[in-house]
Amino acid sequence: MEESTSMYCNLGILEKLNDESVQEIIESYNGFCATTNSLLNGGRDIAVGKEFVTHVRSLCKHGLQSLAHDHFLRSLEETFERTFVSKFWRHFDVYSKVAVLEKNKPLIYDDEVHEVLCKALEEICMEIQYQEKCLFMLVHAIESPRDCSPEGKPILDSEVQLFAKYQLMVSSVLMASLPPHFPEMLYWYFKGRLEELSTIMDGELEDENDSQDKDDMDLDEKGKQRTGEMDIDQSNNHGKFSEKSKLVKHIGKVVHDLRTLGFTSMTENAYASAIFSLLKAKVHNLAGEDYRSSVLEPIKTWIQAVPLQFLNALLAYLGESESYDSPTAGLKLPLASRPLCCPGTHNPSEGLVRWRLRLEYFAYETLQDLRIAKLFEIIVDYPESSPAIEDLKQCLEYTGQHSKLVESFISALKYRLLTAGASTNDILHQYVSTIKALRTIDPTGVFLEAVGEPIRDYLRGRKDTIKCIVTMLTDGTGGNPNGSGNAGDSLLEELNRDEENQENIGVDDGFNIDDKQAWINAVCWEPDPVEADPLKGSRNRRKVDILGMIVGIIGSKDQLVNEYRVMLADKLLNKSDYEIDSEIRTLELLKIHFGESSMQRCEIMLNDLIDSKRTNANIKATIEKQSLAGSELGEEGVSLGLLDATIISSNFWPPMQDEALIVPGHIDQLLADYAKRFNEIKTPRKLLWKKNLGTVKLELQFDDRAMQFTVAPIHAAIIMQFQDQTSWTSKNLAAAVGVPVDVLSRRINFWISKGIIKESVGTGSNDHLYNLVESMVDSSKNGDNTGSCEELLGGDEDGERSVASVEDQIRNEMTVYEKFILGMLTNFGSMALDRIHNTLKMFCVADPPYDKSLQQLQSFLSGLVSEEKLELRDGMYFLKK
Amino acid sequence: MATVNGYQGNTPVAASTTATAPKQPVNTLKTVDTQSVLKRLQSELMALMMSGDSGISAFPEEDNIFCWKGTIQGSKDTVFEGTEYRLSLSFPNDYPFKPPKVKFETGCFHPNVDIYGNICLDILQDKWSSAYDVRTILLSIQSLLGEPNISSPLNSQAAQLWSNQEEYRKMVEKLYKPPSA
Repeated sequence: MEESTSMYCNLGILEKLNDESVQEIIESYNGFCATTNSLLNGGRDIAVGKEFVTHVRSLCKHGLQSLAHDHFLRSLEETFERTFVSKFWRHFDVYSKVAVLEKNKPLIYDDEVHEVLCKALEEICMEIQYQEKCLFMLVHAIESPRDCSPEGKPILDSEVQLFAKYQLMVSSVLMASLPPHFPEMLYWYFKGRLEELSTIMDGELEDENDSQDKDDMDLDEKGKQRTGEMDIDQSNNHGKFSEKSKLVKHIGKVVHDLRTLGFTSMTENAYASAIFSLLKAKVHNLAGEDYRSSVLEPIKTWIQAVPLQFLNALLAYLGESESYDSPTAGLKLPLASRPLCCPGTHNPSEGLVRWRLRLEYFAYETLQDLRIAKLFEIIVDYPESSPAIEDLKQCLEYTGQHSKLVESFISALKYRLLTAGASTNDILHQYVSTIKALRTIDPTGVFLEAVGEPIRDYLRGRKDTIKCIVTMLTDGTGGNPNGSGNAGDSLLEELNRDEENQENIGVDDGFNIDDKQAWINAVCWEPDPVEADPLKGSRNRRKVDILGMIVGIIGSKDQLVNEYRVMLADKLLNKSDYEIDSEIRTLELLKIHFGESSMQRCEIMLNDLIDSKRTNANIKATIEKQSLAGSELGEEGVSLGLLDATIISSNFWPPMQDEALIVPGHIDQLLADYAKRFNEIKTPRKLLWKKNLGTVKLELQFDDRAMQFTVAPIHAAIIMQFQDQTSWTSKNLAAAVGVPVDVLSRRINFWISKGIIKESVGTGSNDHLYNLVESMVDSSKNGDNTGSCEELLGGDEDGERSVASVEDQIRNEMTVYEKFILGMLTNFGSMALDRIHNTLKMFCVADPPYDKSLQQLQSFLSGLVSEEKLELRDGMYFLKK
Repeated sequence: MATVNGYQGNTPVAASTTATAPKQPVNTLKTVDTQSVLKRLQSELMALMMSGDSGISAFPEEDNIFCWKGTIQGSKDTVFEGTEYRLSLSFPNDYPFKPPKVKFETGCFHPNVDIYGNICLDILQDKWSSAYDVRTILLSIQSLLGEPNISSPLNSQAAQLWSNQEEYRKMVEKLYKPPSA
């Protein structure tokens, strides 16, 4: 617009011109061109300046200042492009090829890059300064004749415009010829400088940490303070301080030069990415593989100490230099542009605050990613790694990327935990740790819900899950030999303690301030996180209940209770004293969680034990009196005093393993006496002995030694047969003990492994000969046998259980159901799944009643179909004919 | 180790299982009695299911434990071999003091069974004893098939034909319709 008007003016002037003035114009224009040329390209003779000024003035006189502008700028650009730019870039040509390599070994060229960059920048800046000076001259020349004119403002505008045009020209020319490796170089340069600075700062930080005890300031305060400390003359820091400020000044100059060239944003990108990569390295370095300490604070301190210090100093330096370089200010990015906190004041500038937030967010995110990736390991050593969890919690509060955690953790779980190789115990422990750890991160349990689901699903597919859970809940070690919790404490105890603590806290601020509390609760209400499943109820109703989540794996507490009952029975039956204090305690804890009624049977079992103790003492007391009078029992060396009976009410106990066993005559007599006495005391009740259960303590006396054992009755019965007869064939021995031969050969392995009985092949093909080993010499000969025998012992364990396992029970239940199903199908022909289900529910009231789900029934039925007992057609089940 | 017999007598028996049992169909009787009938029928069902007798079976209908469907197969080496008959058993509210009403649902050509399926069997009438149960009833009917009481027939044609076993067999086969599902 302005140009066109000036053109119009020019034309007007041209018309009015006479020859003389034309001559003058041509002359001064030629002079102007020549002087311009010599100013810019030639010897740079400032002396030409005067001549140049006169020519410009004479051109201006004729209103041709725009011509002068344009020509001058054009020649500036030409010169700049022709000579300086190529010269400038040539400095870096060496690195064009190296740039790729530099990624791998950046530090080798660091110093070199530094020097080259500085040199090149200095050179080109000098050129630019010179050109700017020439431009000033031009402006000055144009300006002065108009000094008198009333319009002072347009001149100023045109001056600003001119400089802006020049700046634009410089940066566009440079940009147009920018070699691709230059940004990379800048990046490495800043990185190198920052690392240098970091090392200096680290040293400083250590010093400060040393002195921290003395002045006892909190870290944040200190960080702010440190900005102020820059000009405080601290004698011991002085050396480093000056070194640091020198470095910063140096970098400041480079940045300033780069800005002059118009590389403002590129520079900022370069040092920002350098800072970020340094920060990332620092976070990785600090966080590492150690989860036992919190790293968030050190990272924050470091951000405060190194990058922010650097930025602060840098911005301060630029701020100072800006005072005489105002035209560049318009080109700066907002983040770094504000004039900064002057040394001495404590208010960090807005730009610096923004930088801090940016850096902290980045640090949080980096740490969070790092921790999430390693969350599995962290949770494995949970109680020790709680600082890491705490860090992660804070990071997540900042970044809000909970879903990332859930996704990554689930995939880690699937890959590392939920595999066939992991033992159920380990999975359960990891599950409990996960619950505890995630409870810290997210008290509402929303994410826990999502993470726990795959584990629960997987555990449901394992057979021994219930058993492991019960063991974990009730056993002293928490079921884990290398358990992480405090040993000797069951999970149940721990849970209970937790609960008590929670309740106590609840009581403290409870009661009289109910209204107030309700109001506080209402005020504190926050909506569920978006990931929450609306079907699962609001967070207020949901308390993270570890036991509940564990029971949730199984589906119903009845199964758990049943498994516990079997375990308890086994434990109680193998007790030789009547000490059941710990069992009572466990039972009480279970009652709290599962209710009295479901634990009723277990309670009766414990009561049986208590009753047994009393009855046992009673019977012994009365019988001993009699036997003192008669004293015929004493002869055998076994008196009733040695017999302790556990009297159980079998209706309430799980089914027992029943195995025939003939006990030696005098023992049998003893048992009969005991039973008789019991009957006398407790008429009309009678004792029925389960002779295969219980334990026997016995001592074997040989010529040269005596050995003591605590064994199962069958072992005792076997070894007692050798008292009178040292050699038995397996067939005869089996008959004497009253068990099948295969059971005998399994059980006798115990004695063979102890080196007390020797096995040899007898006369018959499958008749073995057992001999009592009388002396040590024989038994040591037998020693090489033991290895194989112990393996056999392992296989024996199943049979050693006194109580039918839950699996056996389930199998029994299922055969009942099978008979019912076959029965109903016989009479009704065909039935659909849900009708079978309902009918079973209604009529199968056996013990325990039918409690399977439709899915369980379906899988059971399809089992029967595959056994060819049933047929399935159009959703109806038929009997296979 | 020992078990006590009869311990149950002085310990509280677990809450009654009848909570899940079907509702009683007739309200006139006292609940206590109905409960015991239910218990009795349930235990009979359990015993029958677990007994595994071949050729006899019975099961309560959909939601009423007082109405059962039964199935008996003709015994081997009788004219009824290979046939299968559906029965209905309807228990009175004072069972087992009164016998259940038992009828053939599928037609049965038999001297003691009329065309409506009514059965003439002494234990189902005057000779009934509460010691009998579903299982013994079914076994009796099964054996009745092979050994009819010719002296007091409900189906005189069948009674006359009985002496000629071959013809009788043909007649059974001709009239036999397997029970539909």
